[in-house]
Amino acid sequence: MANIAAQRIKREFKEVIKSEEVAKCAIKVELVNDNYTELKGEIAGPPDTPYEGGNFILEIKVPETYPFNPPKVRFITKIWHPNISSVTGAICLDILKDQWAAAMTLRTVLLSLQALLSAAEPDDPQDAVVAKQFKENAEMFHLTACHWTNIYAGGPSVNKDFDDKIKKLVEMGVDEHEARVALSSYNWDMERATEQLFS
Amino acid sequence: MQQLFFFGKHTISNTLNIYIKTSNGSTLSMNLNPQWDIKNVKEIVGPKLGLQPEELKIIFAGKELSDTVIIADCDLGQCSVLHAVKTKRPVKFDNSGVFSEELEDVGSKPLCETLKDLSNNEDLPDNNQQPKAHFYVYCATCKAMKQGKLRVRCHFCKSGAFTVHSDPQSWTDVLESKRITGQCENRPEECENILNNTEPTFADFYFKCAEHTSLGEDDEAVPLFLVRSNVRSIPCLACGDVCNPILVFPCLEGHVTCLECFNVYCSSRLRDRQFYQHAEYGYTLPCPTGCEHSYITEVHHFRLLSEPQYAQYQKFATEEYVLNAGGVLCPQPNCGMGIIPEGDCRKIACIGGCGFVFCRLCLQGYHIGPCDLPDPDNTDRKDCDYNVDPVRASQARWDEASKVTIKVSTKPCPKCKTPTERDGGCMHMVCTRSGCGFNWCWVCQTPWTRDCMGSHWFG
Repeated sequence: MANIAAQRIKREFKEVIKSEEVAKCAIKVELVNDNYTELKGEIAGPPDTPYEGGNFILEIKVPETYPFNPPKVRFITKIWHPNISSVTGAICLDILKDQWAAAMTLRTVLLSLQALLSAAEPDDPQDAVVAKQFKENAEMFHLTACHWTNIYAGGPSVNKDFDDKIKKLVEMGVDEHEARVALSSYNWDMERATEQLFS
Repeated sequence: MQQLFFFGKHTISNTLNIYIKTSNGSTLSMNLNPQWDIKNVKEIVGPKLGLQPEELKIIFAGKELSDTVIIADCDLGQCSVLHAVKTKRPVKFDNSGVFSEELEDVGSKPLCETLKDLSNNEDLPDNNQQPKAHFYVYCATCKAMKQGKLRVRCHFCKSGAFTVHSDPQSWTDVLESKRITGQCENRPEECENILNNTEPTFADFYFKCAEHTSLGEDDEAVPLFLVRSNVRSIPCLACGDVCNPILVFPCLEGHVTCLECFNVYCSSRLRDRQFYQHAEYGYTLPCPTGCEHSYITEVHHFRLLSEPQYAQYQKFATEEYVLNAGGVLCPQPNCGMGIIPEGDCRKIACIGGCGFVFCRLCLQGYHIGPCDLPDPDNTDRKDCDYNVDPVRASQARWDEASKVTIKVSTKPCPKCKTPTERDGGCMHMVCTRSGCGFNWCWVCQTPWTRDCMGSHWFG
């Protein structure tokens, strides 16, 4: 890795560590290796969103040409959100693509992602299924996102109905995560989810 | 102490070889002691021209030098040129002459002493505490960025025997012509009348390399005016270090990078072919923080790249120019000749290059009839007359390996045909070639639609 990228990441790492957001436990960053090419980020789900109470882990890969090219960031923690792939955790956010600017930092990236959790942009959706639900069935979206936060990110809200439905599918021999994806995609309609899983 | 003193004396007694151009057109070569003042010079030059020392003006870099100026303070290099002209001032004891206002203070300090660090912004307050000006130039002789020296000549007759009425206050004053007026001492009558007195006589500013011995008055260097001394200790926006010199981008905020980071910025953009072909400035880059109106206007700044990278920069710039002008690049490996064909003819011959004749549309060898779009499953010829193992034949072709790699791992942008590789992420492609930016679907190889979004976002 070029010196500049490592040097810069070192500074930004310190900036995050010292930031007031860390003090408030809103964001966190850890080193994955010694040469600053990969980091582990963590953001707390913002209050008054379905993500509240959850902690979301991020994979941050720093390219050699950083900061002139954006870091590659994806969610490790599975999440139900219109702009984030429920399959790969890939993020659709302009500042991580063509709107990246060399003056942005790890801290601003983490805060932008946290903001994305507060305000989804469903017109530029990474996950079309989630986006459709977000726009057409807001209540169902909220429940589903809360459930995912509970299961994968340690969120507090348990949904007994959803858990039972998944349990039934698991008993039929379906992988738990696959069952959850299918049910979430079909607004927790057992029949349609089963149809899709066994077709 | 004694020794130190002698050592010091020894170094300063090094003579400067200087040329003095006189108003009658002759050039004198002189060895000057850097500790001398201008009065000493006048005393030597005067008799050679048959003039009293008091009748002489010594002009250098747009300033008439006063008698008390020391040679060493003048920013003179070896083989620099001073100009000696006969003064029109009434000599001695005459206080009633037309030039009376100039009489009290004859001449001034050299330009390098009076000039403040030029700002790119014209409206910065004139601050007397600003340090002396430093200029950086790209020197074609040294093939590198060097410190530069600002010089002045007459806009019309190009003679260095020229004095400015005022110092330039900004880079605009220096870089744009007809900003600063002055007095031509070479052919004042002609230069003043050249436009029938409709315009004053203007100064022309140019730069020389401070590193190498001047090769004459035509030995100019290109000013890299975005490179500046970091007098305000601004940290680099990329690495955060306070370096010197720095590059100040021409955006409103004046974002700063160190030269090392500028180099990394340029080479990463060059590698991704992300320079922008600007109609006015050429193949260039904006400020890395994405500011508006921040394109580098003087492309010589890219001379800060290494030699091979600069060569690549020139190649890409030429290619982009050809493509923007509706031309094509010869598809033969190791050729790549730029061809701007006339008319709509589909048959293109690489004249002046490798001689390859190809189809403008599919960039394959020229053919009659419609283009045969490559079928990814079957790249081998079927019409071979004798038995050849198709596997062996396909392995035994020159350049085949790279062609196959490109064919297998890339798809062409539907708009500009640039082979594009997808290294993860979703199926939504945005063409990275500057000026294209086409949104397309990796699966359909058509424009990106909401249907693509719904049915095969991740394949």
